[in-house]
Amino acid sequence: MLLTLLTSLWFWVAPAPADTISDYYTIETIPTPPGLTVETGGLTFLPDGRLAACFHRGEVMLYNPKTKTWKLFAEGLHDPLGILAISNRELLVMQRPELTRLTDTDGDGVADTYETVADQFGMSGNYHEFAFGPVRDDKGNLYISLNTASNGAGIRAELRGQYDSLGRPGRMYACVPYRGWVMKITPDGKVKPYASGFRSPNGLGIDAQGRLLVTDNQGDWLGTSKLYNVEEGKFYGHPTSLVWRPGFPDIDPLTLSPQTLDSMRTVESIAFPHESMAHSPTQLVVDRSQGKFGPFAGQTFVGEMDFPHLLRVLPDMVDGQMQGACIPFFAKGGSGGTPLRIGNNRLAFAPDGSLWLGQTDHGWLGDRGIQRIRYTGGTPLDILAMTLTSTGFDLTFTQPVDEATARQLANYQLRSYYYEYHRAYGSPQKDVQTIPVTAAQLSPDRRTVSLTIAQLHPKRIYELHLTNLTAGPKKLMNPVICYTLNRLRPSAVGQTN
Amino acid sequence: MHTLLLLSGLLLTTSAWAQRDTTIIITTSGGLQFDQKRLVVKPNTRLHLRFLNKDDMAHNLVVTRPNARLRVVEFALALGDKGPAMHHVPAMDDVLAHTVSVEPGNTDSLTVNVADGAYPFVCTYPGHGAIMYGIIYATNEPGKLPDPNTDRNLPNPARVAEAGMHQHAEASGHPYSLTLPAVCRTFMADCGPAAIAVGLPGTDGGQSYVFDAGSCRLRYAWSGGFVDNTEQWDGKGQRFTTVVGDIYYRDTDGFPWRVGTQTPIVQFKGYRLIDRYPEFRYLVNGVEIRERIRPRAAGRGLIRTFTIAPTRQPLTFMATAQPGIQYRASTGRLQNNQVRLPAGTRQFSLTLSTL
Repeated sequence: MLLTLLTSLWFWVAPAPADTISDYYTIETIPTPPGLTVETGGLTFLPDGRLAACFHRGEVMLYNPKTKTWKLFAEGLHDPLGILAISNRELLVMQRPELTRLTDTDGDGVADTYETVADQFGMSGNYHEFAFGPVRDDKGNLYISLNTASNGAGIRAELRGQYDSLGRPGRMYACVPYRGWVMKITPDGKVKPYASGFRSPNGLGIDAQGRLLVTDNQGDWLGTSKLYNVEEGKFYGHPTSLVWRPGFPDIDPLTLSPQTLDSMRTVESIAFPHESMAHSPTQLVVDRSQGKFGPFAGQTFVGEMDFPHLLRVLPDMVDGQMQGACIPFFAKGGSGGTPLRIGNNRLAFAPDGSLWLGQTDHGWLGDRGIQRIRYTGGTPLDILAMTLTSTGFDLTFTQPVDEATARQLANYQLRSYYYEYHRAYGSPQKDVQTIPVTAAQLSPDRRTVSLTIAQLHPKRIYELHLTNLTAGPKKLMNPVICYTLNRLRPSAVGQTN
Repeated sequence: MHTLLLLSGLLLTTSAWAQRDTTIIITTSGGLQFDQKRLVVKPNTRLHLRFLNKDDMAHNLVVTRPNARLRVVEFALALGDKGPAMHHVPAMDDVLAHTVSVEPGNTDSLTVNVADGAYPFVCTYPGHGAIMYGIIYATNEPGKLPDPNTDRNLPNPARVAEAGMHQHAEASGHPYSLTLPAVCRTFMADCGPAAIAVGLPGTDGGQSYVFDAGSCRLRYAWSGGFVDNTEQWDGKGQRFTTVVGDIYYRDTDGFPWRVGTQTPIVQFKGYRLIDRYPEFRYLVNGVEIRERIRPRAAGRGLIRTFTIAPTRQPLTFMATAQPGIQYRASTGRLQNNQVRLPAGTRQFSLTLSTL
């Protein structure tokens, strides 16, 4: 009797279950065949719903989620790091030496032709010359990206392609053609150098608006990791690839001053602060599930190698240019003994709206395997959009927020800083300032908070920490969001001057 | 003083680049054998080998580059009547060091720097090279060396010839067993960075070759096994896939085809698998050539079959002249290792074999 009383008392005083992301999404680990070293280089879904995956040791395997069985489709590829399904019998795979079309022409379930689609780029034999992609735009153009080489190793005695000693200096280098470039392959098979200035562009994607987005990794000339909106002919800041730009003078690009290079480059649309968001961003995928994956339909998700979270990017168009925010997704996610692992190198949405993750370490930090995140229902309290206004930022939430907490200025802490563009590896946060939030207004539908900021300056990152925001019993899933402010809203220019 | 000695001793043993000197005396044991067939030293050793010939006939001792024993033996054999004056040692890069001809009861010494890996040594006297050999392992991990009874680097006439068609899944490093023919694109030594290793079925480990997808040509071939990917697969993929077996053929010239008198411009187009054999497709000055390479039915060698798209231009195939290697052409006349194809030839085979 006493025991019963005590037990019920204990239940009564116990706090309500914590509201976590795992109340809305579950994660499971996909079993993989014995003997497979699951360093995942690519994931894609065939029209018939099967998963196609490629792995470090050159296998391409098909997984039927209904029967939970694996089958070998192709083998013998050189470190494939990207895959795109064309039909149930045809896949494009990006391996070190080329983009290859794998086709099962006789219908026996195994690829029998390995056709070279694009190999019009050089190889020095350096390990860091990875090749990524492809992604396809709505006109049928394909895009791939080519990693620069690393001075962690030299080059081989025999190269493929022309050697240019002007591209050899530096920590990451491009002594053979189109290292550090994004290449475009038109539907008629022409291979064109498309944009330059990349270091380690291990993530491509076409977003819901049809824009080509590419991630790049913190290192020399990248104070932090970032996302670019890539357009033809532009240079994105890592200098060595300039030696392969038509018309570029016969000089080592590293002899140009950082100021000159800065004036030539197109800056990132969204920076991923190294301390909180990403050490190594990976692939980009768009949620086209129309709600099957929860409240983020149409948004772009990004993988990450070192943190146990994914990211969402929230673009904001200002003066015709893309900039915007990034925020973690599924941070500390997982339950029942299955946490989200790190090493999330590849992402693919299944036809049922679940998000599949291909993991690898590839000699760096990471995990190995394949996991799948499924939406189980409900609406987590999270930020749907962050947009710049002439006086501050608007934050739009997935649902109405509680007025009392939303209007308290103490619940918003804002700091701003920038990362230096220079030859050294990475950058500390520079000129860190605490920025007062002077007003917080709630929209009539209580979904949007408009913050007034004491000072807004371009070319800075605004890192906002939100505390105590609630929607009834729900608490905010991700309290940190970072907005990359390249340009002010035109109407705000006058005010800040 | 005591501390200083201890410290300097520590430095000597821990520095990976410190070169060590090691002296080993090696003799003969009759029946065309060296008395020691497996020498194990640390990497980066300067090895002094003193060869004492206790046999009743003359021998030499030649240390070769890894996987190069067979080819050095072939080149030595091809010296013909020039052999004795050269101590039966061919002048080639694959020879790292050698003794002179050592008459019975005499000695001679050599010094060779071994970095890391497996360095064959062999007597290259005509007829001796096939059985009188051994191996120097420069390694920090002697525990990982193959069992001497199954070590393919050691002569063992009693070893049963195995059918090299399948490996167990766990040995293949894949979720399936390796089935020959097999294709493996990777980094390999003595090839451009877009290398394609192909393993072919056969007895005693089968044969393998490397095709260069950059320059669109066969680079070298070996017998006795396929490849070891252990180091290439590790980490970031910088290191080479290594050859398992003995290289018996190298194409040391440039691209073999000539279309008319044009300088060849090539473009790799991929391959298709026919009974698991890759048939490569490439363009030479716009003319499409398909090439399929199969092993000879018996004996060491390859049959290269070319299918040529219609062209009005005359085609010439130029084979690398190599001691110990002979060619046979299915059509046209082989002259100075060149074949000028009769006009309209659509299919052509070249058989490459060891003598």
